[in-house]
Amino acid sequence: MSEVLLEVKGMCKNYGPITALKNVNLTVCRGQVHGLVGENGSGKSTITSIAAGMQPRTSGQMTFLGKEWNPSSMIEAQRNGFSMILQEANTIPGCTVAENLFAGKENEFSKFSLVQKRRMNREADEILDRFGIHHMRGKDPIDRFGFEDRKLLEIARAVTEDTQILVVDETTTALSLEGRDILYKVVDDMVANNKAVIFISHDMDEIMERCNILTVLRDGEIRGTITKEEMEAPDAVRTIRQLMVGRDIGEKMYRTDFDASCSDDVALEFEHVTGPNVKDFSLQLHRGEIVGIGGLSGCGMHEVGRMAFGMEEVDKGHVRSNGKEVLSAKDAVARKIGYISKNRDTEAVILQGSIESNINLPSLSDLTVGGILSPRKKKKLSNEHIDLLEIKCRNGNQWVSTLSGGNKQKVSFAKWIAKGAEIIIMDCPTRGVDIGVKQAMYGLIDQMKQEGKAILMISEEMSELIGMSDRLIVMKDSKIAKEFKRSASLSETDVIEYMI
Amino acid sequence: MKKLGKELFTNHGADILSYGGLVLCVLIFSFLSEGKIFSAYNFRILIQAVCVYAILCMGAMFVYAMGYMDISVGAQVGVYSILCILIANKTNSVWLGFLTILGLALICGFINGYVSVMLGLPSIVTSIFLMSIFSGIQALIMEKLALNSVAITCDMTQYKDTKFMIAMIVIVAIVSIVLFKYTPLGEVVRSIGANEHATQYSGINTTKWKVLAYAFFGICVALGAFLLTARTGAAGKGTGNGYAMDIMVALLLGGMPLSGGMRSKISSALIGSFTYVILSNGLILSGVDTKLVYIIKAIVFIAVILITCRKKDGVLPR
Repeated sequence: MSEVLLEVKGMCKNYGPITALKNVNLTVCRGQVHGLVGENGSGKSTITSIAAGMQPRTSGQMTFLGKEWNPSSMIEAQRNGFSMILQEANTIPGCTVAENLFAGKENEFSKFSLVQKRRMNREADEILDRFGIHHMRGKDPIDRFGFEDRKLLEIARAVTEDTQILVVDETTTALSLEGRDILYKVVDDMVANNKAVIFISHDMDEIMERCNILTVLRDGEIRGTITKEEMEAPDAVRTIRQLMVGRDIGEKMYRTDFDASCSDDVALEFEHVTGPNVKDFSLQLHRGEIVGIGGLSGCGMHEVGRMAFGMEEVDKGHVRSNGKEVLSAKDAVARKIGYISKNRDTEAVILQGSIESNINLPSLSDLTVGGILSPRKKKKLSNEHIDLLEIKCRNGNQWVSTLSGGNKQKVSFAKWIAKGAEIIIMDCPTRGVDIGVKQAMYGLIDQMKQEGKAILMISEEMSELIGMSDRLIVMKDSKIAKEFKRSASLSETDVIEYMI
Repeated sequence: MKKLGKELFTNHGADILSYGGLVLCVLIFSFLSEGKIFSAYNFRILIQAVCVYAILCMGAMFVYAMGYMDISVGAQVGVYSILCILIANKTNSVWLGFLTILGLALICGFINGYVSVMLGLPSIVTSIFLMSIFSGIQALIMEKLALNSVAITCDMTQYKDTKFMIAMIVIVAIVSIVLFKYTPLGEVVRSIGANEHATQYSGINTTKWKVLAYAFFGICVALGAFLLTARTGAAGKGTGNGYAMDIMVALLLGGMPLSGGMRSKISSALIGSFTYVILSNGLILSGVDTKLVYIIKAIVFIAVILITCRKKDGVLPR
């Protein structure tokens, strides 16, 4: 076995009465891409954030590079070679790319206590080039870039020559396909230089492909370690899932049928629609049909979803539902269209509000008797849907901010099911959701199809698009590049070919 | 037991503090003023003052619950009061005066709610604009009249009767509570305060509800100005001064999160205006120099903020 870089012994972490980690032991050696897997709330991020100096532990020991390791802040950890890329966006708005890249290191560029902007920008460009990020330049304002690009910048900021361990925490779900390649290259370089990477992801395929050792967590405890050889076993994924969930969830993730039939009734129609980042887009979505839309970041697929819900201006062409034009979100809801935003916490749910208020929000007008809201009807509607979707909570009065990611997403589904939406547009419906909930969601989507609902599923996850769609539309440069019919032989490489 | 107490505090902390504050105020001042605070005469004074504040605060709740602010209230109240008196004196009809100011208040509500959205401005900007305009109008009218104040010549005694004032508080409170708790207006207003984007993404036409919320506030402002006129019988350059800030302080004392959202409650407006008025009135009755009253109020204000915003999801905006 190669040299041990990080060793965690008997680590415990309590948040008040809640135990997040129970006596965890973890060893990371040079040359490892060490995967941490587990459902939401199993403690993956807790271990790494403690090791990266973001929060203190309750008890236990850590050694890093042979010395006792007690970082008091992320900056201290990073200076000593322990870097972490966070789940949340972590850039400073209103500054340039270079200023963000060298935040906290301005002193290196100062002369007579003035910061030399030009030199800073030049060095930023060099670093960006080294990572293969050619479309961002040091002098560009950071606000020009989207979430995906800012995430790339965080990678460039986190990884320096001195970095010995890099933690990648759910970063890939926030990245575009090109961005993922950049990240994978960083991971490969780290391994080639005999350093180590701790890799946290919900995406099993990615984990299996990238990691050479896996640690499985459940409820704050280590449930197993899986070596490279064991990972190559034919039913490895199933074993891992079983360890994660604590029971055999079976092979079934996606739809098992390959029957792409649906009703002839058109539920939602795009007729030569042109608008911001969308050019001449035409599509007919039928009742009982799941249409998937995939593509690289910036291909216009998210805008299509927003247009269908009347939240984005249509310059030319028409979006119609049941023959009537959709011009605003109000129109869309009146036509029984529901929309689940990819930005769950800012657009799909009200975090600082109860589950009941969230579920009832689109249905308020249906819950009144003579203009007065009926508390009984409110309670009934929300409780029915909490039960239907098996949202884990004490009761409907619990705030959404206290729920786990998967349950928050269930709330945003429940809103539209409660409203009785017939056409549901879902943008990245399983982003940041663990396997157990994912499987439940796919079951739910399939059930909606059976009930004759029309579903437009926009997603960055190729496997779910292929696994769930009756028709799969690939978008590239704001246009439709290719349409695939549902088939058992469709593979990710077939689809990717049309994206790039 | 300890755990239960803690849970009670996290869920009802703001309530405990605001009700506790009111009780404390009453206790302290009944002691300091040697019971004068409860004399029949002072009780009437208290009710008259609370009535105007409570009505303004309950209307303001609908705006503050959205996380918005309206700082034009004071100047509006001043102009409405003067206009009401002038029209009533000219036409001998108090009602005509009231209807005129009601119309104006609704127009202001429309400007704050709709025009701001159309122009893509935050509502506070239009309310600053309105504040300046109304302050200007107030100054112009008084200069034209070449008077320091105008007195009403019509009979308004029936409107300053304590029973009438109590009835007004109760009526407005019932209407506000029903609107706030049991209609879509209240639910939407709180949702906007908690997350405006998510509210829009739920297919709700937020502009429509914003206008309605401001319109209800407008009705309350007109009513408040009318009752203030009835109480004082005169209006002048200084009328309405400082009301916008008084409302904000009263709401804070009542445990209202100024960032709005789901924790907003009408009871905050009621409790807050009582606490605020008893505080002001009690200080004077206890023989505190009027010049010091402002300073003491400032200390109480900062103390309340420090106590309430220490906890997470506290009272102040992020």
